[in-house]
Amino acid sequence: MSRARVGAYAVWQLRDYLKDRGVPTVIVATLSAYLSLSGIFEPRVREPIMSILRARFDTAEAVQAAWMTHVNHAFLSTTLNALVFVGALFAMNGIVANDRKLGFYRFLFAKPITPSRYYGQAFLVHWAGFMLVTTILGVLYGAILSPIVTQRLLVAIALMFVAYAGIAFLLSAAARWDWLSLVAAAVTATLLWDRFGASSHPIAKLLYLLPPLHRANEVYLSVSGPPVIGSASPGGIPWALLAWLTGYGVLCYLAGLIVLRYRRLAII
Amino acid sequence: MIAFDHVGKRYRSLFGREVRALDDFSIELHAGEVFGVAGPNGAGKSTLISLLLGYLGPSEGTIRVGGLDPRRYAETHGISYLSELVHIPPAWRADEALERYALLAGLSSPARDARVDEVIEWMGLGEHRSKRVKQLSKGNLQRLGLAQALLVEERVIVLDEPTHGLDPVWTQRFRDVVNALRRDDRVILIASHNLDELARLADRVAIIDHGRLQRVVDVRGAVEPDGRDRTPYRIALARGAELVRETFPNAREMGLGEYQLDGLTLDEVNVGLAALLARGALVTMVYPVHSMLEQQFREAVGTGRGTS
Repeated sequence: MSRARVGAYAVWQLRDYLKDRGVPTVIVATLSAYLSLSGIFEPRVREPIMSILRARFDTAEAVQAAWMTHVNHAFLSTTLNALVFVGALFAMNGIVANDRKLGFYRFLFAKPITPSRYYGQAFLVHWAGFMLVTTILGVLYGAILSPIVTQRLLVAIALMFVAYAGIAFLLSAAARWDWLSLVAAAVTATLLWDRFGASSHPIAKLLYLLPPLHRANEVYLSVSGPPVIGSASPGGIPWALLAWLTGYGVLCYLAGLIVLRYRRLAII
Repeated sequence: MIAFDHVGKRYRSLFGREVRALDDFSIELHAGEVFGVAGPNGAGKSTLISLLLGYLGPSEGTIRVGGLDPRRYAETHGISYLSELVHIPPAWRADEALERYALLAGLSSPARDARVDEVIEWMGLGEHRSKRVKQLSKGNLQRLGLAQALLVEERVIVLDEPTHGLDPVWTQRFRDVVNALRRDDRVILIASHNLDELARLADRVAIIDHGRLQRVVDVRGAVEPDGRDRTPYRIALARGAELVRETFPNAREMGLGEYQLDGLTLDEVNVGLAALLARGALVTMVYPVHSMLEQQFREAVGTGRGTS
């Protein structure tokens, strides 16, 4: 029975996440939010929508409320995908591979701890850290513009994070160039699903081995609030799709733990 | 306590070429001993240590530490380990690094804080404790590495090039540290290129070359070799140099007042020295040109190769 206090070490892991990965996540999220919102508030884009809203609603308050609903929807539907992907990329980049490449594993794992326990916990802590950062950013957005943080939104973000981060965790446990591998895996899965997803050829069934990342937007649209202009309401969260994506990430996470259990740490 | 049984380790390069880092290596290390490992560059010492910590798996043979697979042993009991190059995240502060490692080693507060302060004091890192790892000099980084290894003094201690980068004062202090760590139920393994160091600290020294165990030298029970293999001694005198040739007819003058005595037993050297002193000579220094271990090393791996 190991005497190590890995659980208590979670505080250090959270601190490391916030300092080394949370800050870049905030910077990237803020920049994308700025770009997205400056596009939405661009007079050439804003005025035609405001005209429609003024024609549809009687009072200035109602027009303003509808405008903010539109802003929230446009903002979330355009930024969530990038935010969760980049957040997962930052949170998982080198989570295992860096320690192996830079030799930090040598002192760590001479202590009575198992790599699978240590990194398995790091994954969970980084997930919690990402959710903390996201929630704070969402609350700040709400304080400045209009409230957007809902339970549904947080659940969708948390589960979509697992979909990406699980894959990244496995890649980091198994390969050196994990961030590059994650981008390659995400792009490949999206392209192949887009190109061959509708095919009835038996080989197309192999696509089910890849995560359906091309449909991630369906999840984000479902939690972006009702669109004021244009397409019809997307309805509720597509739970089956979300379960598929999250389940894929969870399986990859578990596979990563198995790799860590049996793979030797030294890089030759 | 530690047993290597016909252990081999092969690496395969990108182009499929096979490299044998360790070959048919068998040895047992017993509790209570300080065991040295010496060998030229690329002899297989680093591979041996990675295998001992379970960071690598053997291609052939078995390794047991306390009866367990090495990785399982490290995960259950921990190993006090100092690697040849000290790898600690550069942004960590020195005391923060020790705090983290102490937590992972299983120390709970407030004993943890006390132990961290203790090793900082022991390793003379007090004035550097708030510095980032990247700001530490090579010697201080090495001491920090040693400090983290000694946070919890485990039953297995592995020190890879422990005096690398230490100044003479700390090299001497390190010897005191190792002597303080000696315990009947503990095995200490030291890999070093410094044969003099190993001769002072270790009970036995394994000399490895080309991945094979060449010989194990029993440092404490060493027997003086015969004839031309005897270690030459050098003496230096402040007074009575003219008496040296009369006492040691084969003495060779080496300059700076030093003479080399070849092919003599330790007894013969002592008898001669006594005669010199009796005749009023003032001897300032007597030392063996090669230590017994160095001589064994030269025989085992040849003379033209450096150690690592």
